[in-house]
Amino acid sequence: MGRYLLRRLVESAVTLVLATMVVFAGVRALPGDPARTLAGEEADPAAIAAIREKYGLDQPLPVQYYRYVENLLHGDMGRSLRTGLPVTETIAAALPVTLQLAVFSLVVAVLIGVGAGVVAAVRRRGPAEWGANAVALLGLSVPNFWLGLMMILVFAIAFPVLPASGFVSVFEDPVESFRHLLMPALVLGTGLAAVVMRQTRSAMLEALSADYVRTARAKGLSQAQVVLGHALRNSLIVVTTIVGLQLGALISGAVVTEQIFVLPGFGKLTIDAVFTRDYPMIQGVVLVTAAGYIVINLLVDLLYSVIDPRIRVGGGDL
Amino acid sequence: MSASTLRRRAAVLLVTGGLAVTAACSPIDSSGGDDNGAGQGQIRPGGELRVALAEEPDILDPTLARTLVGRVVFNAICEKLYDVDADLNLVPQLAADMPDFAADGLSMTIPIRQDVVFADGTPLNAEAVKISLDRHRELEGSARSAELASVDSVELVDEFTVQINLNAPFSPLTSVLADRAGMIMSPAALAEKGEDFGTDPVCVGPFRFENRVAQDRIEVVKDPNYYDADTVYLDKVTYLIIADSTTRFNNLLSGEVEVQDRVAPTDVAALEARDDLRLISSDSLGYQGITINIGNANGVTQPPGELPEDLASPLSRNPVVRRALEMSLDREAINQAVFLGQFSPACGPISPASPFSSDVAQTCREHNPTAALDLLDRAGVETPVRVEMMIGTDAQARRLGEAIQAQAAEGGFEIVLNPTEFSAALDLADQGQFQTFQIGWSGRVDPDGNIASFLTTQAPLNTSGYSNPEADRLIAEARAATDVAQRRELYAQLHELLQDDLPIIYLYRQRNLTGVSDRVAGVEVYGDGLLRFAHAGFVEE
Repeated sequence: MGRYLLRRLVESAVTLVLATMVVFAGVRALPGDPARTLAGEEADPAAIAAIREKYGLDQPLPVQYYRYVENLLHGDMGRSLRTGLPVTETIAAALPVTLQLAVFSLVVAVLIGVGAGVVAAVRRRGPAEWGANAVALLGLSVPNFWLGLMMILVFAIAFPVLPASGFVSVFEDPVESFRHLLMPALVLGTGLAAVVMRQTRSAMLEALSADYVRTARAKGLSQAQVVLGHALRNSLIVVTTIVGLQLGALISGAVVTEQIFVLPGFGKLTIDAVFTRDYPMIQGVVLVTAAGYIVINLLVDLLYSVIDPRIRVGGGDL
Repeated sequence: MSASTLRRRAAVLLVTGGLAVTAACSPIDSSGGDDNGAGQGQIRPGGELRVALAEEPDILDPTLARTLVGRVVFNAICEKLYDVDADLNLVPQLAADMPDFAADGLSMTIPIRQDVVFADGTPLNAEAVKISLDRHRELEGSARSAELASVDSVELVDEFTVQINLNAPFSPLTSVLADRAGMIMSPAALAEKGEDFGTDPVCVGPFRFENRVAQDRIEVVKDPNYYDADTVYLDKVTYLIIADSTTRFNNLLSGEVEVQDRVAPTDVAALEARDDLRLISSDSLGYQGITINIGNANGVTQPPGELPEDLASPLSRNPVVRRALEMSLDREAINQAVFLGQFSPACGPISPASPFSSDVAQTCREHNPTAALDLLDRAGVETPVRVEMMIGTDAQARRLGEAIQAQAAEGGFEIVLNPTEFSAALDLADQGQFQTFQIGWSGRVDPDGNIASFLTTQAPLNTSGYSNPEADRLIAEARAATDVAQRRELYAQLHELLQDDLPIIYLYRQRNLTGVSDRVAGVEVYGDGLLRFAHAGFVEE
């Protein structure tokens, strides 16, 4: 386990270094000159040259990369070309917003998805399964932005019970935070709920027809004990993998939801940075995203062994 | 919508569509005081006004700032030497009087108000004005240096008078000083913060900067040090950045904000149907149009030349073909179809709201596709004339592009739409790698700001590569002349010349559409199109 962890950590570090190179080269390969974009209406050649010089954009690429990495190692991601604010601070402010949204959405998705999946598997070929399937189909096919706008129209404008926009941190005011995040989390969570539901259902169907379930029933266990204690627990491996993979997707997929509900999150930050060719900001957000994916993947791998002790990470002794 | 800010985006050369505009004209929502514009009770002191902006302002440093939307926030916290009134006349703000130009036009003397202190308590005087103007001119990366290029030096005459020496007569300078180049910053704050001034700006204004959360909000609070603080009602203004126009509108409907900048034309009917909301609408000083690459072979600011084979077309070579294209376009139909009639057709760079406009400056070539076909026939051009047009990537830009495409087809043109992301499009335009480009300009109070950089030979925004010595002469004479009637006449002549040459086919002017809750009165939008809250407040219930 220790050796496995060490190997994974080294791999992660190498991946991160590669990520810095790819993103550094990638943003500079984009058409569009940040100095020109930044100059806006004051696109005087002298002004553009001054901007290039001010932000070191006139230096050779290797020199720019060296400076970037040097600053990065000192924990400094630079300053936004657009707002002049430090990238680290800006990301640090945006990340908790998206993380809280993602976690809330995940809870919504798991509650709905696992619940509906179990019902659909246990009550096969009945109204319950059809209902669950219909919900899954809707969750997958209704676009986020449409659902978000509809919810705002209903719950913020026609029957004003929830705020249409804004963010309150759960650590500041849990009740207000819940009110502000409920609609965004439902919007973001329904798509994932559909995926989780389908995965849960098929994993449950497989589990329910397995020998150990028959044995459990033969032992005289109740339906609830069989379903929840045996079949569901074994099905959760698949679900955990999906949820782990989707958490990253949730963070990057939060862009639209963040725009609609005006949440100052990470996705919105990323999009704005790309459109304004804000190199330091793009580099910052991509690096943080890469790091996030790596950490989540590592955690998911480790979590396998907790859910199913038969899996030994890094071991060959199954 | 696009970028900002840009949309703009970086905002300011604007691809159509919601990226938007400086505006003009007068009529507005009232002023403060007794007239609250809402037909309700008196304005009560106090309260926090929440305003939905369409783009995020860039750095809040008047020397370095470049976005149009940033000027909206500056309007609350950084006053200028001069301002405009509801009729677009220049009036003193931090200056005590209008400038006194020397007879040769090579210097101007500006008296400074003597009763003003900055938000940090530092007194305003001529020394402070000189420090700010010099910083605007000389700071590395300054966005103001080009605007103040005509300034040779700034001298102190006495404690409350400065003299600005010019290297050539430049009558638009007063209007330049009515924008960011005329914003005066606290010398104490400049000394303390240096390059970080933009993270905590200190100027003179009804409000002072309080807090900024990147991409989310900017908060300003009432400044007790303000010389006119007694007439300021609001305790606080919070600018929220909401890029999507539908989301902005939803927030106005649900009461999350009291003021919405840039209402989409498609939302106007819904807004007007509500009893608790009202619309403030004013003409823009800017324009939207089609820039035609006629000589930008070597990049902007380089000498114009023959376009390479893949870009050259009858349209770039022959002004008659450009006239035919203009005749095939029905501006009013475009306005109705794409903008539901909310904008105004435009045929030249000068807004009818400008004191420098005239009947001649507003003349339009008649829409007549049959005559356009005739013109092409007589010019011996094979139809359809195939032309690529670079457009924005948002839905409105596409609708506009398709309307142009359909109308031009009737006049013998095959327009191929080429949606291009904003930053990339700016680059291609600068390099001359385009045939036509649907783009616009936010507009300036002095028409020189709409004209000189675009139409003078080798000027920084002359992406058309247009070069006509006669146009250069008229533009130069108009900027040196100080008499309004004389300048109006020169601009009329220029308009006629542009109607023949057509480096840009002007299409329409956006209108500034601002949504305001009836709970609020005294919101003003005039002249430069900025939202003004100095005398705004909540009405008594």
